[in-house]
Amino acid sequence: MNLLPFVAAGIGLGSIYALSGVGLVVLYRSSGTLNFAFGALGAIGAYCTWSILPLGVPPVLAWAAGIAVPTAGSFAYGLFIAPLLRHRERAVRAVGTLGFALFILGCTGLIWGEAVPRRLTLPTDHYFAMIFSVRVTYTRLLALFLAIAMVGAIALLLGRTRLGLSMRALAADRNISSLIGIRVVRVDAIAWLISGVFAGVAGLLLADLVALNAVYLTFLVIPAIAAAIFGRLQSLAGAAFGGLVTGIIEAVLSAVPIATFYRSAAPFVLALLFITLVGGRRTAALHE
Amino acid sequence: MRYVASAFCAALLLLFAWVAPAMAVEPHCGLNNGKVATGEPIPIGSVNGVTGPDDFSSSGHAADAYFKCVNANGGINGRPIKYLMVDDQWRPDVASQVATKLVKDDKVVAMIGSNSIVECLANAPLYERENVMVLDIGVVHECFTSKNIVPLNQGPRLSGVGMLRFAKDHLGTKKVACVAWNLPGAVDWLCGGFKAWGKENGVTVENVIVDPSSNDYTSAMLQAAALNPDTILLCFSKGGHIQALAAAEQQDMGGKYKFVSLASGYVVGLPDTIGPYWNHRFWTDLEFTPLDGKGPDNQNWIAIMNKYGNKNDPRDTFSQGGYLAAKIATEVMLKMDPAKIDRASVSAALRAVKGVKSDIWCSTWYIGNGKRHNANHVGMVAVTDGSNWKPEGGCFNIDDPELKDILATEKAEAN
Repeated sequence: MNLLPFVAAGIGLGSIYALSGVGLVVLYRSSGTLNFAFGALGAIGAYCTWSILPLGVPPVLAWAAGIAVPTAGSFAYGLFIAPLLRHRERAVRAVGTLGFALFILGCTGLIWGEAVPRRLTLPTDHYFAMIFSVRVTYTRLLALFLAIAMVGAIALLLGRTRLGLSMRALAADRNISSLIGIRVVRVDAIAWLISGVFAGVAGLLLADLVALNAVYLTFLVIPAIAAAIFGRLQSLAGAAFGGLVTGIIEAVLSAVPIATFYRSAAPFVLALLFITLVGGRRTAALHE
Repeated sequence: MRYVASAFCAALLLLFAWVAPAMAVEPHCGLNNGKVATGEPIPIGSVNGVTGPDDFSSSGHAADAYFKCVNANGGINGRPIKYLMVDDQWRPDVASQVATKLVKDDKVVAMIGSNSIVECLANAPLYERENVMVLDIGVVHECFTSKNIVPLNQGPRLSGVGMLRFAKDHLGTKKVACVAWNLPGAVDWLCGGFKAWGKENGVTVENVIVDPSSNDYTSAMLQAAALNPDTILLCFSKGGHIQALAAAEQQDMGGKYKFVSLASGYVVGLPDTIGPYWNHRFWTDLEFTPLDGKGPDNQNWIAIMNKYGNKNDPRDTFSQGGYLAAKIATEVMLKMDPAKIDRASVSAALRAVKGVKSDIWCSTWYIGNGKRHNANHVGMVAVTDGSNWKPEGGCFNIDDPELKDILATEKAEAN
């Protein structure tokens, strides 16, 4: 079987994994929190967009709402809940976000349910490029472009701005950062806000490319974490690359009869292989 | 003269506005006496897969609406029904846990309106051991192999064979790619059954098995296309159909292949959801009469859902099944002495059910004493038509080779 069409199909999925992985790494690098609520935040944004679109408002407002709602939710968590856990271990902080994810999942279930058939489409679905005889829609290419652009933008933010410096200091040592005058809660909340923007964008794209389904979108955080592990939870480019490769390998495995049943395990197997093979000093970040 | 005509039209409109509400169908259920039942409640259970890859609760919600109607109209000769609907989260361990609680702690007299991917497999032995009759929507093989589980619907296998029969006869299908989730029984029972039917009927059927937790339906569609079929049979729940059709649309496959599905695709609003690209390009099997069917029983289902159901409860094919299950159970219990309603008496009475007529089915329905149950084996097909579904052709017999024992029992018991 010709595998090249599956490579093209995997680009779209991989781009979303990349975008989500970068969103996770941004927050982890600045606040040391692995955000399990990333997918759920994206889901509630996508549901808001779906609800607003039929009201006749300009679509751009509906999409903006789809990004604004998760951004506000993430910011609120960063401002009010995250500070309460700031002195706890990283694992406890991660579990806190898992609770937040389940809370959002419950809210979407309560408000929208899953009984009504839904689909969210974007205008970019109607345009495509042919790659290896496969139509790759502009939505997929947009996801790829956004993943690359956001890696660049966040790298600049972290490397070249005072806010970025504060974020990096915070990730290294919160107590010392506080002693030297960094406004910990404020910087933390901004990191959550940025992560919320990523979640909103990824949620809209995922709802279009995968499904407008809260459970699906919530648990898509798992392959995103695998992508972030490729970046050792530190490297934005590594997370983006890992996400892209993971998506492509997952798509290609669907054409391999022996592996097709287990292909959704691909992100975790790849992440495990990466940790095992790279090992040593490079996994130091994961030990935390 | 113009004023006279205008006045006449206005009068007609007023008359219509006055008469129209009176013409709307009033729900009819149970004793239908308008008296709220206040006696000792009769516990009835239901296990549904609500939270998971898709929501399978519409049959439970329909049964719930029907029982609410019954309770508001005299109950079961004065005794209200206490309907206990639980979520198994698509997990066999949870299904087993909640069913055990319903059977052993809540002492349900029957299970009515269940619908789940995992519950039959997890609980069939429990129901046989405890003599609990289950009137459900069957979705996996184990729902069609138990003495105590009685599906109201055809089930995915008959639904798929029926769809293929229609596709062969009306769409010129010769080669089919069967795209199904990798769920218990899906590969052997579903796609294997389609292959067996194809072999007997000169249609080649090949399988594409998809991991249900996969996020990538584009690859599944590419796999199906690589088999060079003329027809692609989708064997998912409604959520999976939407994902698969969206992926196929992005690859512009709608014009090249005929897309057909099991009855799970027959959902109100689905043609709107999948969009105009699929207009007259997506066919689905019907396990019951069309959702907007004008028959009195179907109209009663709609009226009950409107009055006693939740606004967001889906009005889908499984909802019709849940309504029928609740209606049959109610009518059976109404014929019993209310003081002697218990599990053993209800199970015995349900087994005696035969010759049930409803415009929601294409043929008469029964339960009987068979070792397994699959009484609904006459199907219909509908195609996307604008925002709606349009029935194509009438009722037809589904010729699944697996039905031989069912047909033999039917003949022997004169059902």
